[in-house]
Amino acid sequence: MKKLVLFLIAIFMSFAVRAEDPAIGFVDKLADKILAEIVATDKTKDEKEDFFRNAFTDALDLKGIGQFVLGTAWKKTSEEDRTAFLNAFTDLTVKTWADRFNLYTGQQIVFQGTRNAERGQIYVDSVIQDKQPVEVIWRVRPSKDSYKIVDIIVEGVSMASTYRNDYRAFLQQNANSVPALTAELERKSREFKAENSK
Amino acid sequence: MGKKKFILFFCLFVALSGCATRPTDPEELKIYEETNDPLEPMNRGIHAFNQAADKVVLKPVAKGYRAAVPSFYRGCVTNFFDNLSQPVHLVNALLQGRFTDAGATLGRFVTNTTFGFFGLFDVASEAGIPNPRNDFGQTLAKWGWDDDGGPFLMLPLLGPSSLRDGIGTGVDALAHPMGWALWNEHELHYGLVALDGVDTRERAMDLLDDLEKTSTDYYATLRTMSRQNRRKKINEVLNNKEEEKPDYEADFSDIEWED
Repeated sequence: MKKLVLFLIAIFMSFAVRAEDPAIGFVDKLADKILAEIVATDKTKDEKEDFFRNAFTDALDLKGIGQFVLGTAWKKTSEEDRTAFLNAFTDLTVKTWADRFNLYTGQQIVFQGTRNAERGQIYVDSVIQDKQPVEVIWRVRPSKDSYKIVDIIVEGVSMASTYRNDYRAFLQQNANSVPALTAELERKSREFKAENSK
Repeated sequence: MGKKKFILFFCLFVALSGCATRPTDPEELKIYEETNDPLEPMNRGIHAFNQAADKVVLKPVAKGYRAAVPSFYRGCVTNFFDNLSQPVHLVNALLQGRFTDAGATLGRFVTNTTFGFFGLFDVASEAGIPNPRNDFGQTLAKWGWDDDGGPFLMLPLLGPSSLRDGIGTGVDALAHPMGWALWNEHELHYGLVALDGVDTRERAMDLLDDLEKTSTDYYATLRTMSRQNRRKKINEVLNNKEEEKPDYEADFSDIEWED
C-alpha cells in the first residue's frame, strides 16, 4: 500500500514538473516536434533538413551564440562581415545538428527540473535514456512570450564554448581574419552537402 | 627502432618542438592560461602523427571490423572488455571513498561474469545497475589534484588527456587484470589489447567523423571537448554541490541579445 502511494505521488510529481515549468514545456515540445517530423516520418532527406532548419533556427538564438563564438573578434568586425559570418555559422550549425539528430532513434528524454542561470536564464536538465544515459542540459533565455536556446551542454561539453575555442584557434592561425573563418565555414558546408548527396 | 632509440628520439622531438610562447598582452595571456596548453607545439605534432596513423591503419581496420562483424557480436566484444576492466574501476571507487559506485561496480562484475557468460552479455545494465567506471585520474583528483589536472597532453594513439589523466591511464593500464592473467602469454595479451583498441576506435567513429567534418581546428576542438567532459567526470567524484556558477557555464555577459 505504502509503495502504491509513493508510486502515485511520483507520477503526480512528474506531471507537476511538466505542467508547471514553461521552460521544460518549451524544450519538450521542440524534442517532440523533431521526433515526430524527422525520426518518425518517411520524408526525403532534403525535406527533413528544411524542416529541421526552420525548427532549429526558430528555437535557437544563433545570432547571440554567433556573437559569443567570435569572442573578442566580434567587436573588431564590420557589420557586413558579421552578417556573412552569422549566415555561414547558421548554415553549418544546422547541417551539423541535423546530422546529429539523424542518429536519434527515439530514445526517451526525461526532464529532471530547472535551475537558474545568470540574468534570468534557465538551465533545463534532461537525460536521454540509453544503455549509457546521456546528460543533456539546455540553457534557455526568456524571449517574448517563449524561450530561445542559447547553449546545449552534452555530458558537460558546452556547444557554445566548444565553437568559441575552435574558432579562436582558427583565427589565431589566420591573422584574426573573420572573412577567412567565414570562407572556411562555407567550405565545410559545401563538403557536407557533397558527402550527404553521395 | 629499439626502446632506447625511441626514447631518445622522443626527447629530441620534445626539445626541438619546444614550448608555446607566453603572450604579454593581458587579454591574450588570459586565453593562454585558460587553454593551459604550454606544450602545444609538441601536442600538435603528436596529433598530426595520430591523424596519419589513424588514416593509414586504425580507421581502415575499424571500418573493416564494422563491415565484417555484425553489431550484435561487436556489442559482445565491447561488453567483454568493459567487464574485464571493472576490477580496476572497483579499486578506484574504493580509493575515492565512493562506496555506492564500488557496490554497483562489484555487483555488475559478478552479475556479468556469471549470468552474462564471462562478460559477453551486459545483463547488469538490463537490470538497471549503473556503470560508473571510476578511474585513477579521478582518484588523483580526489586526493587533491583537482584543477584541470596539469597541462593538456595529446597522447600518442590514445588521444587527448592531461598530465594527471595521462598518469591515471598509465596506472589503470598497469593494474588491468588482463596483463596479470596473461603475464607469460604475450601474443594473446597483445592480440586482445589490439582487439579492444579496434573496438574502441569503431565505437568512436561517428563522433570523431562528425567533429573532424564540422570543426575548423580539429585539434582545438578535441582539446576543449575532452577537457570539459573530464571536468564533469572529476566533479562527479568530488561530490561538488551544484555551485552558483557551473563549470560549463559560458560567459555571456558581453552578449547583446535581441528579442
